[in-house]
Amino acid sequence: DEIGLIPCPEARYNRSPIVLIENKLGVESWCVKFLLPYVHNKLLLYRQRKQWLNKDELIDITCTLLLLNPDFTTAWNVRKELILSGTLNPLKDLHLGKLALTKFPKSPETWIHRRWVLQQLIQENSLPSLVTKGNLGAAPVERIHRLVQEELNVCSEAAGRYPSNYNAWSHRIWVLQHLGKLTVKILLDELSSTKYWVSMHVSDHSGFHYRQFLLKSLIGRTVTDNNVLVQNQMINEQNASLRKEEESAGAEAACEEEQSVDLPHHLEEELELCTELIDTYPGHETLWCHSDETLNNFHHSPATSHMAQAMDVDGLNESSSKQGYTQETKRLKRAPIQDSLDPEMEYRFIDKVLSTCRDVDQARFATAYRKWLVTFLGQ
Amino acid sequence: PISLRSAYCAASVASLTNILTPELFAGTAEWIARCQNWEGGIGGVPGMEAHGGYTFCGMAALVILKKEHLLNLRSLLHWVTSRQMRFEGGFQGRCNKLVDGCYSFWQAGLLPLLHRALHARGDTALSMARWMFDQSALQEYILLCCQCPAGGLLDKPGKSRDFYHTCYCLSGLAIAQHFGSADLHHEVVLGVPENCLQATHPVYNITPEKVVRAVMHFLQQPVPSLEPAS
Repeated sequence: DEIGLIPCPEARYNRSPIVLIENKLGVESWCVKFLLPYVHNKLLLYRQRKQWLNKDELIDITCTLLLLNPDFTTAWNVRKELILSGTLNPLKDLHLGKLALTKFPKSPETWIHRRWVLQQLIQENSLPSLVTKGNLGAAPVERIHRLVQEELNVCSEAAGRYPSNYNAWSHRIWVLQHLGKLTVKILLDELSSTKYWVSMHVSDHSGFHYRQFLLKSLIGRTVTDNNVLVQNQMINEQNASLRKEEESAGAEAACEEEQSVDLPHHLEEELELCTELIDTYPGHETLWCHSDETLNNFHHSPATSHMAQAMDVDGLNESSSKQGYTQETKRLKRAPIQDSLDPEMEYRFIDKVLSTCRDVDQARFATAYRKWLVTFLGQ
Repeated sequence: PISLRSAYCAASVASLTNILTPELFAGTAEWIARCQNWEGGIGGVPGMEAHGGYTFCGMAALVILKKEHLLNLRSLLHWVTSRQMRFEGGFQGRCNKLVDGCYSFWQAGLLPLLHRALHARGDTALSMARWMFDQSALQEYILLCCQCPAGGLLDKPGKSRDFYHTCYCLSGLAIAQHFGSADLHHEVVLGVPENCLQATHPVYNITPEKVVRAVMHFLQQPVPSLEPAS
């Protein structure tokens, strides 16, 4: 489940450089300079039609190559051909990619190939069920769900192995969009499952950006939920004879869910998370950026500005029981409907931070936040 | 699927070789604009985190396509200027990341582009002598921290040299040394006068003379037709 290079500049004993311990594969470094050019050359000769390789050899060679250098596009492309010809199970490539990412968590080609494989799997998923209705082992929806969970897992691991792993988080967004269909359920699940992770990686801008993506997608969902409900009903009626029953049920369930997203609650929670982290870990620009933008979401989305007013009546009981930043949550609840922030309250928050913090960067961020408020929200 | 880097390469090549047509880039500008996010910078695809490399490619491509006003230039300006590191003087690629010499070009290179776009819009607050970033601080970072004693340039102290970083550190240095807008030209050279590099064109990153020569050359060639050769 993991690969790595064992620093070992010389072959001291006459034995294999491959070490397998507890399901982890190690390769002694001395052999790489022999192995890599050898397999690389073999593959190139095959590609140039100078030397034939059978399917099993191809699978082995590309596997070796990619574990040593996963950005070797040609090797991934050879495997694409094998998959398309039905000789190679695409799931094997997901596993190979996962392994490669343990050592090369950023590898762009690995992520790109992964998306190609997943796209193949989705297409394969929908075709059989159109042709033969009924049971194909696990229900297609279940299969997709499992794929999604596995992808989220791979992304998490890769994100943990390299700070601000742009490619891993980018892939995660792609998975939600193309496999997860950006359902409310998955957006909310992701919000809660990444909460702990970002708290442990407070400088990881990519992680926090992901949460912005989730929040903004949720905002998008709630604003159009009525339209979607109508559209889905129409689609279901039209395709009743063709569509799998699970899909229709799924879509209807999703519609029901969409009406019950408590956006202001999630945005408030996000803000609380920010302020808690800002307090605990002073001087992280990412946290301030995230905080700014979360506030921006709250006051600029039509759904929440309407709800902000509605909350005014019964909000006071809740806010008094929350610790710290009560002033801030009260401020949010009293925000006027017209998308504009009460500057006084904001400045008081900033002054509070400035008077109590001892970190130079923290002070600077607070001051910059004040300037930002004047420029962007003061209009 | 479209790629921002490819779009920039395509626009760059097409404009220099005089094969740029509206059909070739139909919809491209609008897609690039969708890649600008809440941070103000531009990400690899719509919805993604703002990133120095992609932001440069996006902005430069739009400048070539003459559609830079599809972007929110003000938030872009705010984002890129926030990327210059106050201690190091160099630029980071994304918020809360470390400085890297190559962003001396990808990020700092945005400021001449923004300057020109804002000037075209009639902005009267623009300087006539400086770009909107600390040119001296960037030069200090490059000259003092990014040089390999054996020659070549690099990401940051402790890293090894490579051609990519050598290219973009030098390109960034050229940007930082030369301010130019229409007939105005103003130099800021840190250290000895011999440090002064030739100016580089902020869109193509070759010298302005080369840009002119390329354009003139291809203008004199017949434009290849789209019909396949028989």
